[in-house]
Parts: sequence; C-alpha cells; structure tokens
Amino acid sequence: MAFSVGVVLFGIGLVAIAIRRDLVIKLLALGLTNAGSILCLVAVGDRPDARVPICAVCRDAIYADPLPQALVLSAIVINFAILALALVFVMRLVERYRSTDSRHIEDLVQRDLDEGGGP
Amino acid sequence: MRPRPFHLLAIVCTVCVVLVVLLAFHSVDPETAPHATYVERPVAETGATNRVASVYLNYRLYDSLLELLVFFVAVLGVRFYLGARERPDVPPLAESEVVRTSAALLFPLAVLLGVYLAALGQISPGGGFGAGVIAASGLLLTSIALGIDAIDRRIRRNAMERIERGALLVLLLLMLLPLPLGRPAFADLLPKGAPGAVLSGGSIPLYNVLIALKVVAGAWLILRSFVRHRGEI
Repeated sequence: MAFSVGVVLFGIGLVAIAIRRDLVIKLLALGLTNAGSILCLVAVGDRPDARVPICAVCRDAIYADPLPQALVLSAIVINFAILALALVFVMRLVERYRSTDSRHIEDLVQRDLDEGGGP
Repeated sequence: MRPRPFHLLAIVCTVCVVLVVLLAFHSVDPETAPHATYVERPVAETGATNRVASVYLNYRLYDSLLELLVFFVAVLGVRFYLGARERPDVPPLAESEVVRTSAALLFPLAVLLGVYLAALGQISPGGGFGAGVIAASGLLLTSIALGIDAIDRRIRRNAMERIERGALLVLLLLMLLPLPLGRPAFADLLPKGAPGAVLSGGSIPLYNVLIALKVVAGAWLILRSFVRHRGEI
C-alpha cells in the first residue's frame, strides 16, 4: 500500500516536471518525486510486524531492513542539496529575465543568442 | 491548462518508467537478496546496535562519503552563485516578543537535541545528518527572531566555512588512514566497545559528530546565503 502511494507520488511529480512550465512548480514537483521515492524505499524495507532494527542480536524477531533506511538518509540530504542549488539557478534566471515560465525564458535566451550577444 | 500531445507523451513515458521500476522491485525476492543479511550480521562486526548507522557508517561508508561530497558541492555552488552579490544591510524584522521568547526557549533545545542525536546515533535513532539539520534549524529560528546580523556577530562566517571544510577534511583523512597502516580504506580502526554502551561502534560516533558539524555549517551557509541575497528573512 505504502509502496503504491510512493509510486503514484513519484509519477505525479515526474509528469508535473515534464508538463508544467513554471520553474518553481518544477522544483516543487522534484521534491514530490523525492518524497515518493523515500516512501517507496521505506516500504521496501518493511516486513509484516517488523521491529525497529536497533538490536544487539537481531535473530529473535522480524526486523525492518536497515539498508533502504540508510538510502533514505542519502536521498533526503541529496534532495536538500539539489533543491537548494536548483533554486539558486532559478533565482538567477528570474533576476535576469523577470519570468519563471520556462518557455518564455527559452524564447528570451534565443532572442539574446540571435542578437549575437550571448545569453 | 489545455491538454496537448506532449502532455499525453509525458504521461505515457512516466507510466512506462513507473512500470519498469515496479517490475524491478517485484522481481527481487527479499528473502534471498544480498542486503537481507545486514540485519542478521553479528553486532561485533561494527559494534553499533543501530543497524542503520552500521550500514551507512561502516558497511557502506563510501555511500556516505559521496553523499557528503555532493552536499559540499551544493554548498559551494550556492555560495558561488549567490555570495558575490550580498546585501550588506539586512533590515531588522518587526520586533515580536512572542517570536523572540519562543526562539530563546527553543534554540538551546534544538542544539541539545542535535548533540544528543549525533552522540548517541550508534545505539538509538539518530545520526549526524539529522542532528546537523536540527541544529541548523535552531540557528534559523534564532535568526528569524533576532535578525541575521545578531548571529553573524556571534558566529563569524569564516568560522563556519572553516568548520565545514575542516570536518570534511578530517573525515576524508580518517577514512583513508587505514591505507598506510596496511588495512583497506574505510576500515574501522577504533575498538568496537560493548554493544549498547555510549562509547561503542568503533568510529561511528566520531563520524556522526563530524558529519553533524559539517551539515550544521553547510546548511547554515546555504540558509545565510539565501537570506543575505534576498535582503530579508
């Protein structure tokens, strides 16, 4: 169940990245794909009636798989880093072209290139 | 938003990607997969009862190293592209007694929680990354209440930069230290200690504290760059 929800969130985010033209919305959608993949990872590590994998001897009961949880940690940190960096690039574009519409920005960049000055 | 052929194509492609991912996951049998053994390995291998910490700071330490490098590059990028055009005078926020009082109450708690999570990550839920983010959010809370200049007066930016780079450098040296001693890189040199004790897990507590320092400095540098660039919080 949780895995399916994660897949659906990931799909919604991916579609939104592809078809929405607003750069900030694209970044939010990127965050949504990340949330979906984190949910998938946690669901993959889960077992029926699993316990927290903090134990000296982990053979007496069913424990959640620690490997996907360790990957979740990487996913969160890297998502934070990517979003911060991408947000900086969006801020630079907005300062220059006064728009968050990706197609409008592309037109403006093309116009700059045609005028020979470079973007 | 009017539907366009491109939208349909994007949706179809996404569904295909999702189906491939689903198939890949369901073709792996969790009982026989190689990672299923991590939780069953003897605790003496790493000394840490928190098996998640033992995975990302011992068995797969290189993952965490690369993760730290990605974070480092992101901090560098943010500061490179935003830092050149800082506004020197950030106007103070409207004074609010409620915000100031609650920030003064919550900041020590955030720092305390960060220290606790970093120091005991090997025997309880926690770890360096979460600890660093919690302490950095405490700093952000204080900067909302008192203004960013108040924090800049107390913690110089150079100090944060030195902490960030120094922590990464020490981590790299610690991970490579086994090589001249004839052990493979990333090997754990410290004694493992009794499982469940505060000083257990070999190098894991040390790594956790260093990672927490690195993350709190890096996250604060990113937040500070955004605030300085925008000119207000």
